[in-house]
Amino acid sequence: MLSLGEDIKEDIVHTLINVRYELRKHFRRKRILIAVVLALIIPILFYIIPKVRNVSFASTSVAFMANSLGFINILIIISAAMFAGDAVSGEFETRTALLSLSTPQRRSSIFIGKYIASLLAVFAIIAFYFAICGVEVLGVYGLGGMPEATGKSFLLCLLYGTAAVSMTFFYSSVLKGVMSSTLLSFFTFLMILPIVSALLQVANVEPWFIVTYSAGLMTNVFVQEPAFSGGGGHNMGPSAFTQSTPNFTVGVEVMAAYAIIMFIIAMAIAVRKDVE
Amino acid sequence: MDDIAIETRNLKKQYSQGVLALKDLSIKIKRGQCVGYLGPNGSGKTTTIKILTNLLKPTSGQAFINDIDVNQFPKEALRGVGSLVEVPGIYEFLTSHEMLAYFGKIRKMSSADIDRRIKEVLTLVKLSEWEHKKIGSFSTGMLRRLAIAQALLHDPEILIMDEPVIGLDPKGMKDVRDIIKKMLQEKKTIFLSSHLLNEVAETCNDVILLDKGVVVSSDSVAHLTGSTLGSKIDVTFLRPLTEEQCKTLSNLDMVEDVEPLGDQIRIIYDGKPETSSKILSKIVGLGVDVVSFTPQKVSLEDVYVSVMGDERGVR
Repeated sequence: MLSLGEDIKEDIVHTLINVRYELRKHFRRKRILIAVVLALIIPILFYIIPKVRNVSFASTSVAFMANSLGFINILIIISAAMFAGDAVSGEFETRTALLSLSTPQRRSSIFIGKYIASLLAVFAIIAFYFAICGVEVLGVYGLGGMPEATGKSFLLCLLYGTAAVSMTFFYSSVLKGVMSSTLLSFFTFLMILPIVSALLQVANVEPWFIVTYSAGLMTNVFVQEPAFSGGGGHNMGPSAFTQSTPNFTVGVEVMAAYAIIMFIIAMAIAVRKDVE
Repeated sequence: MDDIAIETRNLKKQYSQGVLALKDLSIKIKRGQCVGYLGPNGSGKTTTIKILTNLLKPTSGQAFINDIDVNQFPKEALRGVGSLVEVPGIYEFLTSHEMLAYFGKIRKMSSADIDRRIKEVLTLVKLSEWEHKKIGSFSTGMLRRLAIAQALLHDPEILIMDEPVIGLDPKGMKDVRDIIKKMLQEKKTIFLSSHLLNEVAETCNDVILLDKGVVVSSDSVAHLTGSTLGSKIDVTFLRPLTEEQCKTLSNLDMVEDVEPLGDQIRIIYDGKPETSSKILSKIVGLGVDVVSFTPQKVSLEDVYVSVMGDERGVR
């Protein structure tokens, strides 16, 4: 038997091996390439279209950045679904678990390795998107044009990305099929949670506990918005849903809570899963 | 070190659908033995192997490898084990080398050892030309060979294999048989589940027969085939025996039964060489023209059918 120290060291080595192989999987399957292309095209369109149409750019770099980052939410969700959707369910669906789980390593080492690899992939896409946007801002508004809130927004995107990956891992651990876990993750973030959030606002209840509501902080940090003003009453149109903004601290806490709680639940399920 | 390499104690497994796959299964496999694990579909063979390789948790009971509880300390228990369970999926985005290197690294092999052993095992399973080819392009038989290479990579002391020759052509089956025989010569412990009784008879020392999650028989292949059923002698004559001649042979004390088959008869006896010799003398004494006199060994298949009944699956 190994000593506790050696045991932990071995677990860390196993985790790193799994990170490397999982990243290799993402590269070989060209998933990163697809996400990179999306991360490249979206901000470039925000730059090219005004040029082609001979329309002036936003008056301030803050507005330009906020507009350009309008789609980062979708990019994060697509990336999380692509990189994490099959992490656990894929091993069971393709029967590779019969090989990987019968080796002398803890299941948690495999799970954490896959989780870190998915996070790194999602973070890389977010960083690439910000890099493109940053270059555009510098090109249009000069060296001093970079909005102060860019760093804060970037960190919030990483946090939201972590929550999205954790949630996707949860689905991947619970469900048996890759397609179902990927699609459910996608629809949860793009439809289910936003609809619940909108309905709560219509009922004049702030959906502070919904992670997609907290995700609004990613762009809201660029502009000073009023705190939640409710969506009910006379103002029932789509604009009602955009009037409210989450409290910064609460939003950060909610995203962190989703990231941590979903990660823990997903791992608890995954390590106990039988390969029937 | 203990003489027992693999052991299960009162192992019980009930699946979530309510199926009781194993009922208080207790088996022991000695170090250096090759044990065949036989039984019809659904008898619990794969469930046992999955518990031994930490793919399934038992409902109750324990499984030990080298006296280490597999489900409590899987990392330690599986360190010296090579396994092949069912038909595993293989990471198609990797090359054979990359895939085997992953398993080598997990098993803490040095880079030099990994490279050396990859070459050795790929040669052993006849895949050396495919070392740097993507697995996605492999045929079913090649995937099976690669899975076997993975099980052998770290030169394990204990090899646990579930239907290892599934998907292999006759040549591949022979190759696997040769690998197992070689490992047995090296005093490795082999636990082999199979439907192919001849494979087991040819490679294993001992056999465990399982049915409905219970061990119905456990013995050496030699003992099972030598004692469970009477042995047979096939005798061919120039002309068919008369009814009276058959009756004379049937009435001999040493003969359990006589089955006439045209110009041939099958004599069931106790299998002892001295009895066989006496029977031959009696037949010659009848004054009939004997063309051939061939004592037949009882096969493992005969034993299996006798224990399990005709209706259970045998290949």
